[in-house]
Amino acid sequence: MLKKKNNNALRGPQGLSRRSLVAYLFLIPSLIGLAIFRVLPIIYTFIGSLFNVDYGRGGTTFVGFENYLDVLKDPIFWNSVKTTLIFNVVVNPLQITIALILAVLLNGTARTTRFVRTLFLLPLGVSVTIASTIWNILLNPNEGLVNSFLKFLGIPSQPFLTSPSQALWCIVLIASWCGISYWMMFLLAGLQDIPSEYYEAAKIDGATNWQTFWHVTLPLLKRTLTFVIVADTIANFLLFAPIYVITRGGPQWSTNLLMYETYSNAFVFSDYPRALTLTSLLLVMVFAIVLLEIRALQKEESL
Amino acid sequence: MNKVFIRIIKYFVLVIFGVFVIVPFLWTLVSSFKPMNAILKDIAPFSIKTFIPVPFTLDSYKELFNGGFMQSILFSILVGILTVVAGILINSTAGFAFAKFKFPGKKAVFLTVLISSLVPFEAIAVPLFIIVRWMHLLNTMGALVLPMIANGLCVFLFYQFFKGIPTDLMEAAIIDGASWWRIYWQIFLPLSKPAIVSASLLLFLSQWQSFLWPLVSVQSSKMRMVQVAIAFLTINERTTLLHVLLAAAVMSSIIPLLLIFPLQRYYIKGFVTSGMKG
Repeated sequence: MLKKKNNNALRGPQGLSRRSLVAYLFLIPSLIGLAIFRVLPIIYTFIGSLFNVDYGRGGTTFVGFENYLDVLKDPIFWNSVKTTLIFNVVVNPLQITIALILAVLLNGTARTTRFVRTLFLLPLGVSVTIASTIWNILLNPNEGLVNSFLKFLGIPSQPFLTSPSQALWCIVLIASWCGISYWMMFLLAGLQDIPSEYYEAAKIDGATNWQTFWHVTLPLLKRTLTFVIVADTIANFLLFAPIYVITRGGPQWSTNLLMYETYSNAFVFSDYPRALTLTSLLLVMVFAIVLLEIRALQKEESL
Repeated sequence: MNKVFIRIIKYFVLVIFGVFVIVPFLWTLVSSFKPMNAILKDIAPFSIKTFIPVPFTLDSYKELFNGGFMQSILFSILVGILTVVAGILINSTAGFAFAKFKFPGKKAVFLTVLISSLVPFEAIAVPLFIIVRWMHLLNTMGALVLPMIANGLCVFLFYQFFKGIPTDLMEAAIIDGASWWRIYWQIFLPLSKPAIVSASLLLFLSQWQSFLWPLVSVQSSKMRMVQVAIAFLTINERTTLLHVLLAAAVMSSIIPLLLIFPLQRYYIKGFVTSGMKG
């Protein structure tokens, strides 16, 4: 009897719960942080979007899905959705394709390759905000470098960001520029992780460069590529800085991406219920797109 | 014949993309060392002079630092360092708990951390603003630092690293009567230097590059983060202080470049190994 009790004290439920307690203590600070600053905002978004400000009584009243119906009836919202989708369908493939081509071409150990690679990695630290600043200067219709270069080639100067038909494409240019070096760095690391035996085997089998790329490089790069595609999509879907710094959604709403529309509802018009409604739609859209991408990339594996 | 052809295509592609990727940055770098009138004069007509820093001057950098930009740089560094110190501490302890303890509810908590690490920070700026305002933290250092400390990605990073450290080391320390805090602080944390480097880079750079959140959560010009400072310069002074703007762009890109470039491997690991396995 006594012996059994001793055993329990050594490794029994009491000891286990003390250990669990220690674990909780180690966990608590970061869990509190995540709960307040990550989980709570999401819960707040969905609940807050069901309420509206009551100007008569002050405070808020429950309005159900009224905010959603209002948003869904609004042509400005649909214009933002359309603009955001067009933007992303173009910018993500463009950016990742260029980064991938460069990574493949610059993956090598020769001294010149390493030197050129370093050159291409120089804009690595450039944030979207800084890219907006630089390209805003370069694309200036009157005294910008790009128009000066076009003139040098004998092409008439363009209005760029001041034209409703060109502004969105200029934002595409800016967004694709500022991520290329950054994503190239990830893809280069992924390429360098591929063991050289695979390439040697492909060579012995008489595979062409193209076949090697398609059947050896791409499948082995898939983990990195999945990360790059997903992270890039999220970043571009929520693109904000160039719109704030340069166009403010214009000219004529042509660059009014969803993140900027959400921002201006909250912080320019102080319409928080509407901004929360837009935030919840934005979150749902981002998650849906990311899930679709992961699905599609996994499917390719089973083929 | 075929080989030569492929080479030509390769160089052609590199030149085209090189012009697109490198030239804007190179032009910014070169022009930041020129006086304003020379920058404008050398843009049009387009010539080799456009890319040569003559006449050479440091005036734009001097003007930049006299104009309060230095304060933004120092302030961003301070915010970054505070985030790194607090973030390393609480995310590594959480990683330690997940890696070396069994406790009720572990799976559910782990899943919550995983999901929370997938939430893009920009997307929740509006609700976060309302919550931080409710906490009376707007316009304080707390608004900038506190939301960025707990980071699911960093928790994973430490979790994976600690999982790889053999348990016998820990059991031996337990037999010696060491407290759990000492086991974490004196054995596990010192062993996790690669994870610390990765997580520090991740946390510091996320603060350095952040724009939307510091834009809305802090109004005071004394607490202006670097990206917000450069955005305001662009909006307010783009025609009058072109040279200063270019110097600001260079200064705020150089710091992340100097950090990421030599530490690429650690930086990439911070995202890829932790993020994708979960």
